[in-house]
Amino acid sequence: MSPTQLEELQQATPVRPPFSLAELVRKRPETITFTILVGICIAVSIANPAFLQPSTLIDIGRASVVMGLFALGVFIILAAGGIDVSFTAIAAFTMYSMTVLVQSYFPGMPIAVILLLATGGGALLGVINGLLVHHLKVPSLIVTIGTQYLFRGFLLSFIGTVWIMSLPPQMGAFGRLPLLQFESANGATITLPFYFLVLPIAAVITWWILNRTLMGRAIFAVGGNANIASRLGYDLRKVHVFLFGYAGALAGLAGIIHVCANRQANPFDLVGTEINVIAAVVLGGAKITGGTGTVLGTMLGVLLIVVINSVLVLVGIPSTWQRLVVGVFILLAAAFFVTRQRKK
Amino acid sequence: MSAKPNIPDHPGSRETSGHFLELHNIQKWFGGVHALRGIDLKLDLGQAYHLLGENGCGKSTVIKIMSGAIAPSEGQIIVEGERHSAMSPIQSLAAGIETVYQDLSLLPNLTVAENVALSEQLVSGKGRLGRVFDRNRLKETAATALKAVGLPSDRAFLSTIVSDLPLAARQLVAIARAIATRAKLVIMDEPTTSLTRREVDNLVRVVERLRQENVAVLFVTHKLDECYRIGGHAIVFRDGQCVAQGPIESYSKKQIAELMTGRSIGSERYRSGHAAPQELLAVRDLSVSGVDRMSFTLRKGEILGITGLADSGRNELAMAITGVAPARSGSITLDGRAVTIRRPADAIRHGIGYVPEDRLAEGLFLDKSILENEIALILTRLSNGLGVIDKQAGRATAERLSKEMRLNTTDLDLPVGALSGGNQQRVLIGRWLSIEPKLLVLHGPTVGVDVGSKDTIYRAIQALAEKGIGLIVVSDDLPELLQNVDRILVMNSGRVVAKFDAETATEDQLYQAMLTTKLETAL
Repeated sequence: MSPTQLEELQQATPVRPPFSLAELVRKRPETITFTILVGICIAVSIANPAFLQPSTLIDIGRASVVMGLFALGVFIILAAGGIDVSFTAIAAFTMYSMTVLVQSYFPGMPIAVILLLATGGGALLGVINGLLVHHLKVPSLIVTIGTQYLFRGFLLSFIGTVWIMSLPPQMGAFGRLPLLQFESANGATITLPFYFLVLPIAAVITWWILNRTLMGRAIFAVGGNANIASRLGYDLRKVHVFLFGYAGALAGLAGIIHVCANRQANPFDLVGTEINVIAAVVLGGAKITGGTGTVLGTMLGVLLIVVINSVLVLVGIPSTWQRLVVGVFILLAAAFFVTRQRKK
Repeated sequence: MSAKPNIPDHPGSRETSGHFLELHNIQKWFGGVHALRGIDLKLDLGQAYHLLGENGCGKSTVIKIMSGAIAPSEGQIIVEGERHSAMSPIQSLAAGIETVYQDLSLLPNLTVAENVALSEQLVSGKGRLGRVFDRNRLKETAATALKAVGLPSDRAFLSTIVSDLPLAARQLVAIARAIATRAKLVIMDEPTTSLTRREVDNLVRVVERLRQENVAVLFVTHKLDECYRIGGHAIVFRDGQCVAQGPIESYSKKQIAELMTGRSIGSERYRSGHAAPQELLAVRDLSVSGVDRMSFTLRKGEILGITGLADSGRNELAMAITGVAPARSGSITLDGRAVTIRRPADAIRHGIGYVPEDRLAEGLFLDKSILENEIALILTRLSNGLGVIDKQAGRATAERLSKEMRLNTTDLDLPVGALSGGNQQRVLIGRWLSIEPKLLVLHGPTVGVDVGSKDTIYRAIQALAEKGIGLIVVSDDLPELLQNVDRILVMNSGRVVAKFDAETATEDQLYQAMLTTKLETAL
């Protein structure tokens, strides 16, 4: 640090520095995610124009919902410097318990109440995570590995292991409820389901919380440096409870949507896909060490993973290659983001 | 860390003493260590205070208590007449006490505007988080506060991420936050340690401005020159007690140094032996970040003291010789042979040992036993071709070492974490004896060690020198150096600014040399 640097700052000229790609990428890493996404889409459209058909796009949209909701939860925990691997267990727990509850005890429960209860149940399990992380002072990775086993073990031991093939009618109907419907060239009906709306709404709410409320700033503050944040008067307990509660709520909602969309409830579902979701969030530019990232980047990361999944099939690459490709992208993106930080 | 509840002793009771902040008989124990022994302080608005004292005298503990980071064990904090037995960070901030720690307490990933002005909204909302913050007010508050400290306040600067700023600007951002929260007392912990002279000038102007606006400023610093420039009251701490208070002009530098060190206690010299004539170590033109072409020599059985302020380069020098943070250039000759030290393993191979300052973090395996700690360096020697360790030989070695270091326990299976600071240090030094070192670099050998243990450690150091081992003691405990070493090098800005013969030097001389400002060095 030389005195001239400070003087430069003090006489800061309003002239903007010349546009630089490196600077843009450093400040908005999701531009990389976006570029890769667009690149893949263009390449695939050339290889197989079928990609641009509405049916493919709608498939992608549909497939993004559950992963997107999970990713939003993972992202805000990552932003606060934590990590969560229990969200799939929370989703499995709430979706299966709700289905059993509705089927066996309250067959007439309206779908809105089902969605609300699932979200609330997820939030409750998330709050358990938050309290454990705060009071045990154990890294959240360890805590959520523990609760993942706990929630899933409880589900399979006490609630059931039977695959429910016939859902309560209102849940099935919600899964089929159309938002958009039209006929494609070959005469098949293509539907963008109503539940797709949940993802953009959840994304906007998450963005608003993170960027407009003190809680959102507190989350980033804790991700920047938890000790300093607490010194500055941010209540870490509130932040932890909110954070994990919110991620749990999103997981609960994702779980019930997963059931409605697939028209069956399999208690063995979802758990095991955590890494995929965390990968999407990291590909979206959030640092695994916390404190950075955007909702937009997270959504782009999710789209990227979903597109890779569906696109490989379209261009005739075996779906077993999917992991290979995602792995390469993660390593490339990670290497890129790391060099970007070193340059500083 | 969770917020501590507010436990006022007499809720609502106010008294009009007229002082902004009063500390009344504050005591603090850390485990068995009595860090603060009854501190009484009174701070008034619009005044500047300088909290002076040696490392470990309780300065930082006191400011942490004022800012609500830790609770006192006993005593009362009276802010504008309101009594507290402890404060939470948010209470302290709400009362108008803002602390600029040495690390500046900035959130590196947030913008300048957020760092400056979010606290104000958080405090005015009493720490409630479930609220939308006022973005226009955020920008306005930030811009006003930034102008007050002489930083730009345009949109581009407001939205700069703090980790992208140079250090001096970050310092001012931290002060701007204090202004934004309308602080009545700003505490600055060693604010000038890493600033250049011009940046210090700017800081002094900012402080003057704060005082004119009836804000109290409390400095915690080592740099006496700057205290005299700023003026105000001196508060001198020693061993957790306040030993003097008064206008700084009424004390001379010498008097303050005497008050800080209290040289009356234990000043007899431990050093009785003499160095052998053979040269053991020659360091030539050694450079590393913070050290500028250092050269010195050390004879067998000689004890060399190196001192200086925290930023003088003494720490970097110690780490360069021992390979912890290797030198960029220069040569090291040990026992007549040029050696290259790129990593600690090189140093160990050549027989150079390093006892780091922070033995808990850098030196010891706290949850492992004394035995395992003592033999950590000689595991290869103790193991056979298959890598199986000869436990009996290990135990014998550990027994010999702990006897040599006069450890006050014979239970070698005790975890090191359960020992006192003095014994931990002896375990660490003992471990180095296992490789029969030629040279030992001791960094702050008695930091956090009680007086009795100091004595044993000093005797051990002398015994090592008797065996012909060369020792370098890096320390800012001046009496320690005067009592134990042959020669003392005083460093400042990465260079040796003075050399003393420890037998004839005085603490005062050393202090003067340490505090010589960078400008004076350059002239």
